[in-house]
Order: sequence, then C-alpha cells, then structure tokens
Amino acid sequence: MIWRFTLRRLAVGLVQLSVLIVAVFFLIRLLPADPVARFVGMNASPEAYALAEQSLGLDLPVTRQFEAFLFGEGNDGGGLFRGELGTSWVTGSSVNQEIRQYLPVTLELITLSFLIAVGLGVPIGVLGAVNPGGAADKGTLVYGLFAGSQPEFSWGIIFIFVFFVVLGIAPGPLGRLSPLTDPPDFVTGAITIDALLAGRVDIFLEALWYLSLPILTLSFVLSGPIIKMVRENVAQTMNADFMFYGQAAGLPRGVLARDALRAAFAPALTLIGILFGFMIGGAVLIESIFSISGLGQYAIRSILAFDYPAIQGVVLTISALTLLIYLAIDVCQALLDPRVSV
Amino acid sequence: MSNTGNRDESAAFGVLAWIGVGIVSCAVFLAIFSPWLIPYDPTQATENVSMPPPPLSAWPSLFWQTIANGSPTPHWFGTDASGLDVFSRTIEATRTDLIIALSANIVSVIIGVSLGVISGYFRNIWTETLLRTADLLQSFPVFITAMILVALAGRSWVNIVLAMSLLYAPIYLRLTRTEVLALRERSFIEAARALGKTELGIARHHILPNAIGPSLIQFSVTIGFAILLTAGLSFVGAGVRPPTPEWGSMIATGATQLVLGDWWPSLFPGIAISVTVFGFAVCGHVLEKRYGR
Amino acid sequence: MADNKNTVLSARGLSVQYAAENPTLTDINLDIAAGEIVGLTGSSGSGKSTLAYALLGLTRRGAQVTGGKIDFDGHDLLALSDEELERVRGRDIALIVQNPRSALHPMYQVGRQISRVYQAHKDSGRTEAQQRAIEMLRLVGINDPERRSDAFVHELSGGMAQRVLIALALSTNPKLLIADEPTSGLDVTVQAQFLDTMWETSRETGTAMVLVTQEPGILANYCDRVIELDAGHVAKDVSASAFISASTKRSTQSPSAVERERQNHEPLLRVEGLRKTFPLRGTKKVVQAVDDVSLSLFAGESVGLVGESGSGKSTVGRCLLKLLEADAGKITFDGQDLAAIGGHTLRKLRQRIQIVQQDPYDSFDPRWSIEKSLLDPLVIHKIASPAEARGVIEESLSRVSVEFSVLSRRPRDLSAGVLQRIAIARALLMKPDFLVLDEPTSMLAPQDRHVILDVLKRLRTELGLSYLLISHDLTSVASACDRVVVMYLGQVVEVGPTVDIFEKPIHPYTKALIGAHLEENPETRRVERLDRVDLEGEIPSPIDLPVGCYLATRCAHATDACHKERQSLSPFSSHHDVRCMRVGQFELDEAS
Repeated sequence: MIWRFTLRRLAVGLVQLSVLIVAVFFLIRLLPADPVARFVGMNASPEAYALAEQSLGLDLPVTRQFEAFLFGEGNDGGGLFRGELGTSWVTGSSVNQEIRQYLPVTLELITLSFLIAVGLGVPIGVLGAVNPGGAADKGTLVYGLFAGSQPEFSWGIIFIFVFFVVLGIAPGPLGRLSPLTDPPDFVTGAITIDALLAGRVDIFLEALWYLSLPILTLSFVLSGPIIKMVRENVAQTMNADFMFYGQAAGLPRGVLARDALRAAFAPALTLIGILFGFMIGGAVLIESIFSISGLGQYAIRSILAFDYPAIQGVVLTISALTLLIYLAIDVCQALLDPRVSV
Repeated sequence: MSNTGNRDESAAFGVLAWIGVGIVSCAVFLAIFSPWLIPYDPTQATENVSMPPPPLSAWPSLFWQTIANGSPTPHWFGTDASGLDVFSRTIEATRTDLIIALSANIVSVIIGVSLGVISGYFRNIWTETLLRTADLLQSFPVFITAMILVALAGRSWVNIVLAMSLLYAPIYLRLTRTEVLALRERSFIEAARALGKTELGIARHHILPNAIGPSLIQFSVTIGFAILLTAGLSFVGAGVRPPTPEWGSMIATGATQLVLGDWWPSLFPGIAISVTVFGFAVCGHVLEKRYGR
Repeated sequence: MADNKNTVLSARGLSVQYAAENPTLTDINLDIAAGEIVGLTGSSGSGKSTLAYALLGLTRRGAQVTGGKIDFDGHDLLALSDEELERVRGRDIALIVQNPRSALHPMYQVGRQISRVYQAHKDSGRTEAQQRAIEMLRLVGINDPERRSDAFVHELSGGMAQRVLIALALSTNPKLLIADEPTSGLDVTVQAQFLDTMWETSRETGTAMVLVTQEPGILANYCDRVIELDAGHVAKDVSASAFISASTKRSTQSPSAVERERQNHEPLLRVEGLRKTFPLRGTKKVVQAVDDVSLSLFAGESVGLVGESGSGKSTVGRCLLKLLEADAGKITFDGQDLAAIGGHTLRKLRQRIQIVQQDPYDSFDPRWSIEKSLLDPLVIHKIASPAEARGVIEESLSRVSVEFSVLSRRPRDLSAGVLQRIAIARALLMKPDFLVLDEPTSMLAPQDRHVILDVLKRLRTELGLSYLLISHDLTSVASACDRVVVMYLGQVVEVGPTVDIFEKPIHPYTKALIGAHLEENPETRRVERLDRVDLEGEIPSPIDLPVGCYLATRCAHATDACHKERQSLSPFSSHHDVRCMRVGQFELDEAS
C-alpha cells in the first residue's frame, strides 16, 4: 500500500520536475541578458563575439539548444537524459561534478543547524504551550515572532563581530577549516563525516568549531518558526475536545500528555520538512558571509556570471531535493496519521 | 490539570499590537519624510572617512548644540569607508526598501486576488492552467529564482518589484481561491442568486469583499519577507545598484570593515532592518489572531 | 432527599464562574437517585453543559468552581486531589458528549481507546480489556465489533461514533452517566435507536443518568425527572410528566379546502421524474442525490418534504429554484417550464419562488447590516424607489413580527430565531407565490421553532402563500403541512395527507420514521410502545445503490423480488401513493 503511494507520488514529482526544468530553461533565455557579451567583454570585435556565441551554442535556435540540453551534442554522451547537466561556461568543468562537490557542504550546514534548532525549539515550544498565559507562553510567542522574522545575514555579521572580533572566542569567517589544515580525503563531501571516516577526530572538531557561528546564526533564525509552530500546535491540541474527554474519562496524566504530543507531532513534522526544503535554496546568504563554498555560493557565482548550464543545474538540484523531502514528509505522514488516505 | 486554561493573550496582545503598529508607523513616517529628516546627502561622500559615531552619552549635548548653536550636525551613526553618513543612508534606505516591498506586494495582491477570484469562481481549462502555473512558480526556490530574474533582467528596482510579484502573486492567488471556494458554498451567495442578483454582482458585492481578508493579513507578513528579499539580493550584489542607499548593500559594504573593528556601518542598517521586519511580523500575527480563522 | 440511601450524587450550593464574567452557575442544588434518568434542560447559555461537566469536577477552559460541594459515594468530589478525581472519573461517573467524532482521539483505534480507559480503572490486562471493548461495542449494537474496534474515528459515522463513546463510558459500569446532548446532529431514526440503547442499558445496570438536552421530545420519552436551568439557576425540578404539559397534541391540517383547489386547477408546481447526480471528484462515479422524484403542489397548499440526511430533499428544493440544474425530469411552475428559461426571465420568475435556508447566520452576508441585506433585492428588481423602500421593508418585517430596530444591526448580533424570521421577511419582499423552506427550524431552539411555524401558518392565511417545508423534524411538518412527501435515498417512497402519513403510514420506511418520532407526550413513550418498527443495518451508500428496492437490505418484509426489481410509486388510495410492491401483504408476514 505505502509503496504504491510512494511510487505514485514519485511519478507526480517527476512530472513536476520536468515542467520546472523546461520552464527554467526557457525563462533564462527569455530574459534580456547577454552572456556572450559578459564573456568577451563589451568592446569585443563582432568576429570574437560570433566565435564566443558559437562556442557557447547560443547561435542555435532555442529549440535546438533545448534538444542539446536534453540529449547532448552529437555523440558527446551528455544531455539531461543521460544524467548530465552540461559543462560550466565559466570553469569549463562538469556541472554534475561541481554540484557533487558543493551540495554536501550545504546539506551538512543546514542539517546540523536543523538538529540544533529542532532540538532546542521543540522543548521550548512545548514549554510555552503547557502554561497558557504564563511568562513562558508570552516569552516564546515574542521570541518566535522575532527570530522567525529576522535577516540571517545581518545576524551573521553581528555574531562575527561579537564572538570573533570583540570576544575572540570563535573562528573568523574563513570557510570550513583553517587555511593551514589539510582537508580530509573527499568521500561524502561533508567535512565532518569525511574527517571521521579518515579517523581524524581533530579535523572533525575543527570543522565543528569553524561551523559554529554559521550554525548558531541559522539555528537562531530557524528556531523562530519552529518554536512558534510547536507552541501553537501543542496549545491547540491541549484545547482539543479529545483531550477534555480524555480527562473526563479519567485517563492518567502520562497517557494524556502522550496523546497531546502524538496529535501535535504530525503537523510539526510537515512544517519542519518544508523549512528544510526552503533552506536548501535559502542558505545562500549564510554561505556567502562565512565563505563556505556550498551550493549557495555556487549559485551566486553562476548567476552573476550568466553561467546558464550551472544555473539550470542548481535550480534542478534544489527543486529535485525539495520534492524528495516533500515526498518523504507525505510518506511519514501517511504512516503516522491514519486520516491520511494512502 | 483539571483546568485546561484560557489562552488569555489579551494583555500581552495589547502591548504586542502597540509595538507592531508603532514600529510600522515609524517606518512609514521615515520613508515618507526622509528627505526632510536627514542631515547629509545619502549619496554624497563627506571628508570624514570611517568616522565612529559619538558615544551615546554625548548625544544629548551634541543634539542641543545642533539645534541651539547651529553647529554642523554630527554623524550620529558615524561614516563608512567612503565617507558616507550612515545615519542619513539608514533613514533614506527605509524609503528604498519600503517602496520596493510595498510596490511588490501591491502588484501581487492585485494580480493574485483578482486571479484568485476568477479561478475560484470559474472552473475551466484556463483557470486550471493558471493554477498549475501558480503551483509551478511556488515550487521554485524563492531566493535563487529572484536572483536569477533580477540579475538576468537587469538590476533595477522595477525588475526587483516584478520578480517579487511573480513569486508572491501565487500566495495571494491560493489564499483568495481557497476563500472563494468556501464562500461559494455559503448560503448567502445562494440567497443572493435566488433574490435575482447577477453573477457579476455577487462576485463584486459578496465574494470579493469577503474573500480579501486573509490576503490583507498575509500582506503584512509578506512585506516583511519582501524587505528581507530586497536586502538579501543587494547583499549578494544582485539587487539595487549602489550608491542607492539600501540596508542590504549597506550591511554588505560595512561587513568588509568589520574585521577592522568598524562595526557601525553594518550594525545600524542591521538594526533598522531587524526592527522593521519584526514590526511587520507582529502586525501580521496580531491581525491573524484578531481577524483570521 | 440528600439523606436518601439511594441518592448517587447530590450537589449543594454549586457555583461555577468564568474568569472576569458573571457567574455561569449560582448555588445549584440537585440530587440524583440510583437508576434514575434526569433530564437537564434550559435554553442555550443557561449553563446546562457547564453543570454537567461540573458534576465530574471538570470545567472547560477558563472556568472555575467557586463554591459548593458535590457528594458522591461518601466523598466531596471538589475536595479530592487531582489523582483521586482521576480515579473517580470514568470509573464511577462517566461522560458522553455532543461531538463524539472530535471527542475521540483521531490517531488511535476506537477499540483501543475503550480498552485503555478500562485498563486505567479496572486493574486488568490488555487482552481482557480488549475483550471488554469488543463486548461493549456489541452491547451498544455495533455490527461486527471485532472489525469495528480496529477502525479509526474518521471512518465512523456520527451515530456510530456516538455508540463507541457510550460503549467507552459504560465499559467500567459507572454509577452515574452524564450525557451532554448526545444525539444532536443525528438523524431521527438513529437518535431513537441510540436513546433506546442508552435507556435499556441504564435500566439493566441500574446506572443513573443525567441527560442534557433541549428537545422536549427526548425529555418526554426518556426522562423520569426534569431539571430546568435558567441563567445559571435551577428554575424547575419536577417529574417529566409535570414538565411537559400533555396538551401539546398534534394538530393536523384539514384537507378539504385543498381538495377543491385540486379539482379545479392545474397545480402551481409540478415536478416529474426529477433526477440529479453529483460527480465524485477524481472518479467516474456519481453520487445519486435525487432519483426519480415527482410531486405536485397546488396554490395555497403546504407540503412537507421529510427524510433523513442524504435523502436528497434539499437537492429537490434547490432544483425547484434552478439553483441547481436537474439532470433529467421536468419542473413546471405556473405553466412555465423551468428548463427552458434562463438569464433575465429566470431572475424574474425567481421573484415568485423564494427560498429560506437552514442556517440563518450563513444566509446573510456577515459584513452587511440587515438594512443593506433587505434593501439590495429591492434595488435589483426595482420593486421600490429609495423613498418607498423603507416602508416595504418595514411591512415585511412586521409580517414576521420583528422589530425595526434590527435594521441597523449585523447578523452576528441577532439571535438565530430572529434572524431566521428576517430571512423569511427578505423572501417576502419579492411578493412570492411559493416558498421553499429548507430545514428552516433545524438550527433553532425549540421555542424559536414554534414561532417560525406560527409565522408560516399566519402567512398562509394572510397572503395565500404556498410552501414546501423541507424538514427532518416531523413535529414541524405535522403542525404546518397539508400533505407529506417522504423521501428515502433520493426517491419518494410515500405521499399522502398529513393525517394518513402520521396515523396510518404504509411504507416500511415511513413506519420506521414515524416510529422514531419522539412526541412531546410522556403518555406515549417510545420505550413503552410494543409495535416499534426499526430498520436494520446501515443506510446504503448513494454512490453504490442497490438494484431493486433501496430499502430491501434493511426491511423485515423484503423478498427476493424486492432485491431485484425497481419499485414504482403507485396509488394506494386516493391522494395516497406508496413505492412498495408488497403493499397490503405485510400482514401475511406476521401471520406466517
């Protein structure tokens, strides 16, 4: 049952993804940008311009370009249908490889931030809900509203100033490791995991150390919506008829508490999933501030350089991941909540 | 536990609501009157480069001297590395950011609400296509898509507004459509029909006024998002072009001086943006609690 | 009474107050004897639910017990600790509530919810508790309890969920059961069966009961004693027969006047072979809402359309105004075929046919004042100039006895009863010949129902108005209609004069429906009647209807032919039609 549900959702997701990639491909080319001029410079000769245009494949009609994007050019073995996203116009290397290199960095950053934000946010939110009208309730409400609305880049900078410049207790925004440390061998791409795989606990700790400020910033911003939502869900559940009735039926308090958490958990899971999906494309600014070369930095670089194949690759990757996360939420939801029809 | 308790938020509510309304009014006031309030031209460098702000304790006397003796206005928030007055730029940026955020939301509301009413009222192949398109737009990663649109279309504030409208209109469309679908089942719509009202009359007099509420609540929340997006785009160099004063680009320029200990060029615009978006978030929350479902 | 040995619970000086408001309950004294069924009644807001919960030592959010004591089993409940109260609740005093579907946890199987309450109170193992749950489900009349105990609450109908709740409440053999409007929202036949079960269980186990209800019919049929609350005080505490004056005898309409009309004229409204289906989203299936409905209505006549939820009666009403487009069939109003007209002609015709809807709060634009809502139709149809409009509106309002001061108010500031009368006034602005009343009294308190029915009867004599009264409330129909049309699953099963339908119902479904009707008369209690006709099983799904008679699966008289052949509506006597091929043969079944 659950497998058929998953497969059906996956099929729908694939259709969505195909529409999305078509849209991105044509949208980029509809906009009045001139990547050729960007590469050869404004004052290039018409000949040089034409040559560059040809080498980027932009001299072809758009439909031909799209064909090449899907099936590769000639017999170069590329094309989206073979799983190849093309070659970056700026670096000349494969977009697949670049994404393979940058994506784990971003995932590592946001996963760690989420662990902290959820780990702290859920108990705090519950705490705010159990005593309505109390100081904890008001405090969590205001904190949730505040943190949830804040610009992460501004806070990143404030944290750098306070913890690095003034107090000197945190590392500077120099990336994921000290420039003097040799990174561990590339296995997964997530430096903490790779360090552990290489048996280098010292590098693992150093990586965590260097990630501490970006994680602090991200988990601060993320904790806002998580606390706010957990607080509201739990409060709502505690006011639900079935809680009142459970009390009237003389159910022990432990059982009632478990009932409330169970009912509040499912919607919370959805919101956390959506936030996570959002952050894959939203960690851009944090990466930029802390010089973490993840997918976000790659996106900024590609967009500002009009590197179309890379832009397409980034959007496709982020969307595909987001869809997968939504799929995972749906499946979990279907397993947890009998009301969700499979 | 014998008392599930009343969620008595009324007290905190009053205070919160006043904070929200106060912040938003201040921001709007500054945006409107900034040309008359700022002591220096926000795009004209002074000869004082990287000048720190005067200590807080000196502010009252400095203020008094400015008014009474007509001595030159101090750089309240200091100056940045190019000698621009941070105070004037922070105030003037309120205008830039608010205008962009407001315009984007007004355009989105107009497009989203009218398409929402249409797609809720008529169910055919066109409105289906419209809905699918809205879904598609909502499945794009917001920040990256905005960056692509603005960077490739040209870094002007009009393009930022258009890009954001494209991303936010679907939110209003969805909200309105849901509301319209629920309204269509309400008895008073049927009653109006039985009383001889035309479909257009029903849409104008009953559906639209009743369906717009959630969008207006969303408006307050989305303005906050829009300010963050505007600032974020400028921060990575894909937003309004310098030297136009804008919080995000000010924070970015200031950040380069941060390691040298010059905190003021990025801190003051940072505070401004934090407070403003908090104000809009509070207003959205208060509106939702009071008028929302 | 407090000294009486048989007293289960006695409350003295009980007061409950919501934060910073007037006390909800003040100084309540009451006693409940073993095995007694006490009706607790009062208008909405009188504090009856609050009192019901307070007897368990419970209050809703924000409320607090401010004084008094509740003696139960030698203890003062209000002096017990939370842990001690936890043990009394559910074991000795059990509760069932109005919304069974939201009172059960959505994510646990219902059987498990019963067994864990049992386990919490009766030191028993899990298997024993599960068996107890199944046994209880069987006791409250749930078919196939082993399977049903694994169901989740969203898979159950309202009536079924209410049975689960009572199984849960009674599983521990409590000494006192408190039932807070347990049947609101249930269909009449389900309601009657449910209350029968409750009554029987109470009599068998000697459980005392407090039954909170606004329905005089329930008080009369099931209660021994009635306590009426008024603004938080006990207003009456008397025997059920003293509470209900036996004078509320049914008044039935005399058919003679209409008879004459019939012979002389074409009917005002004629419906033939009406059919309406709704497509089911995402499938090719359809919901059969109305299937072959024919009826006629003469000028000046009032017809009742009765049936349970899902019988398609409201859909018929909507088709009559062309608010819904019929799939098949012909509707003729005063010689005009409704299918043939549209646009302006239709809007003109709708002036003559008006509708009053079920929920008065929903039938007015919440943003508009009453004046604006009443003015709008006048402007649309140019019935009155702005100068005359006020006069027209006031005339309309006085016809329904509503004060003019309501004009400046908004719908939410008015009571349901008043607002429903304004809805009638709004329809009258059009000077209609014919009114469709779609469950106009179902959202109202019993007192307001009588007012609406009186208004309708008056309008009929004053204006010669004809109406179709769609209702599941048989009392309303009996008092306000000449003829009754009975619908079951989209079909008319019986049509006849009101007296015949109520006194000599023919069709097995009509018999069951009339039998489930709770008359406001303690002399003819349903539980004491011997000739009750109850339907078995559950109503078939309108998506997947049986081939033959729709009632065959639930009918005691069904034969093989009934299951196979479609039935048609045939004359039984003059003006009395029945859709049943076995009419007149039921006695044979009883003989054999």
